[in-house]
Amino acid sequence: MSDPSSINGGCAVAMVGKDCIAIACDLRLGNQSLSLANNFEKVFPFGDKTFLGLTGLASDVLTLKEDFRLKHNLYKLREEREIEPETLANLVSSSLYERRFGPYFVGPIVAGLHSKTNKPFICGFDLIGCIDFAKDFIVSGTASDQLYGMCESLYEPDLEPEDLFETISQALLNAVDRDALSGWGAVVYIVTKDKVVKRVLRTRQD
Amino acid sequence: MDIILGVRLQDCTLVATSKAATRGISVLKANDDKTRILNTHNLLAYTGEAGDTVQFAEYIQANIQLYLMRENDTELSPKATALFVRNQLATSLRSRKPYQVNVLIGGYDTKTDVPALSWIDYLGTHVELPYAAHGYAAFYCSSLFDRHYRKDMDLEAGLDLLRMCVKELEMRMPIDFKGVYVKVVGKDGVRAIEL
Amino acid sequence: MAGLSFDNYQRNQYICAKGHAQPKATSTGTTIVGCKFNGGVVIAADTRATAGNIVADKNCEKLHRLAPRIWCAGAGTAADTEMVTQLIALNLELHGMWNDRQPRVITALTMLKQHLFKYQGHLGAYLICAGVDPTGAHLMSVQAHGSTDIGEYQSLGSGSLAAMAVLETKWKPNMTRDEAVLLCAEAIESGIWNDLGSGSNVDVCVMEVGKDAELLRNYLTPNVRAPKERSYKFPRGTTAILRESIREIVDVEETVIEFNKPEAMEVDA
Repeated sequence: MSDPSSINGGCAVAMVGKDCIAIACDLRLGNQSLSLANNFEKVFPFGDKTFLGLTGLASDVLTLKEDFRLKHNLYKLREEREIEPETLANLVSSSLYERRFGPYFVGPIVAGLHSKTNKPFICGFDLIGCIDFAKDFIVSGTASDQLYGMCESLYEPDLEPEDLFETISQALLNAVDRDALSGWGAVVYIVTKDKVVKRVLRTRQD
Repeated sequence: MDIILGVRLQDCTLVATSKAATRGISVLKANDDKTRILNTHNLLAYTGEAGDTVQFAEYIQANIQLYLMRENDTELSPKATALFVRNQLATSLRSRKPYQVNVLIGGYDTKTDVPALSWIDYLGTHVELPYAAHGYAAFYCSSLFDRHYRKDMDLEAGLDLLRMCVKELEMRMPIDFKGVYVKVVGKDGVRAIEL
Repeated sequence: MAGLSFDNYQRNQYICAKGHAQPKATSTGTTIVGCKFNGGVVIAADTRATAGNIVADKNCEKLHRLAPRIWCAGAGTAADTEMVTQLIALNLELHGMWNDRQPRVITALTMLKQHLFKYQGHLGAYLICAGVDPTGAHLMSVQAHGSTDIGEYQSLGSGSLAAMAVLETKWKPNMTRDEAVLLCAEAIESGIWNDLGSGSNVDVCVMEVGKDAELLRNYLTPNVRAPKERSYKFPRGTTAILRESIREIVDVEETVIEFNKPEAMEVDA
């Protein structure tokens, strides 16, 4: 209960659908049992169709968000193009492994569509950057155990964007309701080849 | 057990800090001001490890002042100030002996005419809030803020809310904190106010 | 810049001293084996990755390529096996180009053990390294502290005991390729069933002298998920939404249209 990655609470999840992906997170930021904010987003865009979710110690979430924003901007300047999700995944992995013996206490997830082929891609990491490539879904954060259970039972392959939204939302909502440190609002991003839809969900407030 | 509270009102931000300086079971001082003015429109309130607090606050103050001189009197916005402070604390956390300081930053953005309040702890956790408190005071005041706070409150309504908090704290806190200093950060800068 | 950064180390010691425990990294509570046969060598691994007692990945890849014909099975801390393997693969490639020779297994092994020894066991990588090179087929293993073993058959990881039991009873000298593949697969399967840290599928890699290495990804899949009895799709509109914002992604195309294009100039007389 009192390790650095569960001081602030929060979780994130990503799923693959038919020619689309979805990535979602809760909005709580707390200090142990005291909830501080209900607007703390944990999913950040990197280009049009690539997203990075960061859960864990809020301080490190903020630090890494800025670190990757810097690295993403430098990448764009050097390459004169957007970063691909696979490339971002390797960037995250090597950035985390660089701190092998003094890690950031985070559980990142990456989700996106390839800029040209629109091939869906998702993956997750442990705190020292070991990549978990998954074909179906990735979970992270203090409600990860619950999310594993929800996703394992609700997920099915090749869902249309609108169905994927319902599946990921219900998986997240029902998982965070069984985690004291997560919840207090949720956001979902549905990414298709020509549209990114961001939805703020109505959730329990306890 | 120090108390620091902050409330963002319609056209200013209120910051209240307890007057008592305590060490163990002794109250050493009854007129301790736990705030530092960073620049005209930014006020830093702090609590934490004795020694670290003032040291850190004055270090921040000096750097914000230095920025003012270097950049031809360009004032750092409340957001920029908060990010600078957060960065200092997050960097400090990776050093041999980190600063154990929690702060609130009350500010007023003169460009957009919007008041701001930032909550930052020693880990470098930063969040912008309508109302905030550090330490045990947060447990007692959060519910009062939740119940009575309105985002269009004026100064008098804000002071009423603070009075309610102080009354509750005087009733619940185990030691006398000798009342609070209240500062208002608004369009015309920082000024002290009697509660 | 080069190498690993230790500057968060003190911070984390500080955080941990305040009563917080270090979080767990993904480890491959694993079964990996290797076995030589007449004219080659084969290695195999299970495909379960765990974080504590949660299965983090049900079909991960534990067979890493060091060189086209030298492969490596990894157990221990997942990030370490992956990163150490990538680093050595890179250096092996450069080494091969510099010397204009095919890299040897013993070279890979030496580079691995020197790297791991330098880190005094803090890099939790336990590897079975095998391959074919101009000197023949080889099978070796490296421990996290840098010690190495050479043998006709090897097993490593939390399921190594279960796997070794199979290897010890069924191994015989001068096996054929197919016998060796079967033996390794069976040894891994023993780990999958009897070791809680191992599970899911069997990956195999065969390296024969004079041939390209052959990776048999998911050679055995004894744990296929049964199809779901019913669909758990929710009717659209189940989830209540507070706000929605849509960002259309448009392609900007550029076409150059020239007006009043002058006639091509006459160059030669």
